[in-house]
Amino acid sequence: MNLAEDVQLISFGLLGVLMIAAALGVVLLDQIVYSAFLLGGVFLCMSGLYVLLNADFVAAAQILVYVGAVNVLILFAIMLVNKQETFKPVGNRWLRQGATALVCVGLFALLSTMVLATPWVVDTTVVLTSTVVQIGKHFFSDYLLPFELASVLLLMAMVGAIILARRDFIPEKMATDTQDALTLPERPRELTGTVSDR
Amino acid sequence: MDLSNDLAAQLNAGAILPEGLVIVTLMAVLVIDLIVGRKASSWLPYVAIAGLFATVAALVLQWDNPNPLAFFDSFNSDDLSVIFRGIIALSTVITILMSIRYIEQSGTSLAEFMAIMLTATLGAMFLSGANDLVMIFVSLETLSISSYLMTGYTKRDPRSNEAALKYLLIGAASSAIFLYGVSLLYGLSGGETNLAQIAAQLAQGDSDQALGLAIALVFSIAGIAFKISAVPFHQWTPDVYEGSPTPVVAFLSVGSKAAGFALALRMLLTAFESVTVEWHFIFTALAILSMILGNVVALAQTSMKRMLAYSSIAQAGFVMLGMIAGTEAGYASMVFYLLIYLFMNLGAFTCVILFSLRTGTDQISDYAGLYQKDALLTLALSICLLSLGGIPPMAGFFGKIYLFWAGWQAGLYGLVLLGLVTSVISIYYYIRVVKMMVVKEPQEMSDAVQNYPPIRWNLTGMRPLQVGIVFSLITTSLAGILSNPLLTLANNSITQTDLFHVANAAAVETVAQVAEDADPVAQ
Repeated sequence: MNLAEDVQLISFGLLGVLMIAAALGVVLLDQIVYSAFLLGGVFLCMSGLYVLLNADFVAAAQILVYVGAVNVLILFAIMLVNKQETFKPVGNRWLRQGATALVCVGLFALLSTMVLATPWVVDTTVVLTSTVVQIGKHFFSDYLLPFELASVLLLMAMVGAIILARRDFIPEKMATDTQDALTLPERPRELTGTVSDR
Repeated sequence: MDLSNDLAAQLNAGAILPEGLVIVTLMAVLVIDLIVGRKASSWLPYVAIAGLFATVAALVLQWDNPNPLAFFDSFNSDDLSVIFRGIIALSTVITILMSIRYIEQSGTSLAEFMAIMLTATLGAMFLSGANDLVMIFVSLETLSISSYLMTGYTKRDPRSNEAALKYLLIGAASSAIFLYGVSLLYGLSGGETNLAQIAAQLAQGDSDQALGLAIALVFSIAGIAFKISAVPFHQWTPDVYEGSPTPVVAFLSVGSKAAGFALALRMLLTAFESVTVEWHFIFTALAILSMILGNVVALAQTSMKRMLAYSSIAQAGFVMLGMIAGTEAGYASMVFYLLIYLFMNLGAFTCVILFSLRTGTDQISDYAGLYQKDALLTLALSICLLSLGGIPPMAGFFGKIYLFWAGWQAGLYGLVLLGLVTSVISIYYYIRVVKMMVVKEPQEMSDAVQNYPPIRWNLTGMRPLQVGIVFSLITTSLAGILSNPLLTLANNSITQTDLFHVANAAAVETVAQVAEDADPVAQ
């Protein structure tokens, strides 16, 4: 066993232990802010695993998207919700937790049996060119159509996010040609009031 | 110019011309709305409808395309995908017709709604022809994300918010499960994403892969069953149907569901061909549960939209029967039923929208005595509901007969009998609404109907709604008697698709093999 393989093995072990510890912290800690920061740790460890798998682009994207965007968003959400509320402890809590643990352990056992039992086809070719170049080539050859469709998807996600976030100004003369009985559940409360007052 | 021609020929870009037209329409709607503003909202829907009709025309030209594979095999525009894309485009046309007035009255902007609706259509259309795992997932997400956005479109309504949140959470979870199954498929086939190549790789794989393949199958079916809302993946359906804007529900129950069935057919018949027995078994379970639970729970509903939600779950169960039959007649009956379901279900939803626009309620009991006030609405809703239930002269009856006949031919006696029994149950809750509208005496009329506003078709957006109602009324009542063109269309779409020939050849081979194996024993 040479030095490179040793380093790979040790960093894999280190990353794995760190990731499992951080993930347990996310689930078990009571303070939600700690959970959010530990989640960032899980994402970082995962990108480390991607580096070990020679997937440098995915590793960078993982940090950019998950740590840089998703995790920050989660932290913002936690900061904006500052309502203190004490929840009543749920009865038979251990039963629910036990059932969840049972399902999770069962699923884990099933999937790990499957992973170990299946003879995976392992790709042994050594890639020397950068993965970014390869991904780019795929995007403009055999995965051209999904790549272009993703642009429409992103456009619509943007439009949709703006629609959900913007403040609607209700036009004054909305109710001019409507009939009196028109009170859809979707109508804003103020507007419904003006219609019935009229 | 020369280069671009070469490129288009090499990619066979003509195969996605219909989708290209949808994208052009979508861009036109967005840009015109940006430039002209709210003044355009009176004629903008017609731009969208014209674009969709152009799409349908382009689809007609695609029929019997000798060279269906496009974009390096990632998209397949064979006749099966053409007919499903046609169903989806038509469902969007009718949905836009019914949404003009609805969106106007809910005080939200129409242009963005249509843009999102067109994106959902685009995703569904690409999904019907997707032939590659990456393509399948991206188009599935395009459909799903635009559906979430539409579900929460009336954001001042808490029920719509709740529906959107539920749909988003359950949908994201099911997408993740689907993606996990698909990634297993990628690994098992040694790094292939094309469905045909996956099937080829899996066929020569050894028996050690059986467990992995089974898990991949179950996880993929979980994702697909969420889209077609088959029991037990149906929990989102009633709440989402009740809370979200009614035109969206109409699209979800027809367009989105059709796309789900197209995906199921293509994926299960190619990639999972080696485990046909297993997926038939899983789908049998799904069909039984959907038919029983959908129809029985629908009996107890008091809200019209919730009742239609459970009825759509049950209808998905009937359609699955054609898939389990596994014969060409079975698949053709599926396509035929979906074609008819398009008209009758959208007709029913158009009537529900019209009623709620005039009275502001969706409760079944509020429909009491509607006959006295609005004869056209009563007639159209009765015809559509009776057709959904499968009462003889309507289109739905012929669709169900064909489905059950195909199932019987394939030897699915138990399932067909169950289908018949549950159809009878379904007739009860459909008739209940009809009885409520027609039979009640004037003094039993509900308050909503007593305060029924005078019928005015000249309000903005009412005319398209009227067109939608009359169109679905005519097609639902005539498509049964004059069903031959539709039937020919459905049959041709199946017989002219290579997908089913491959599947059939394999089935014949297996049967021959079994017969050979059995022979020595007999002797």
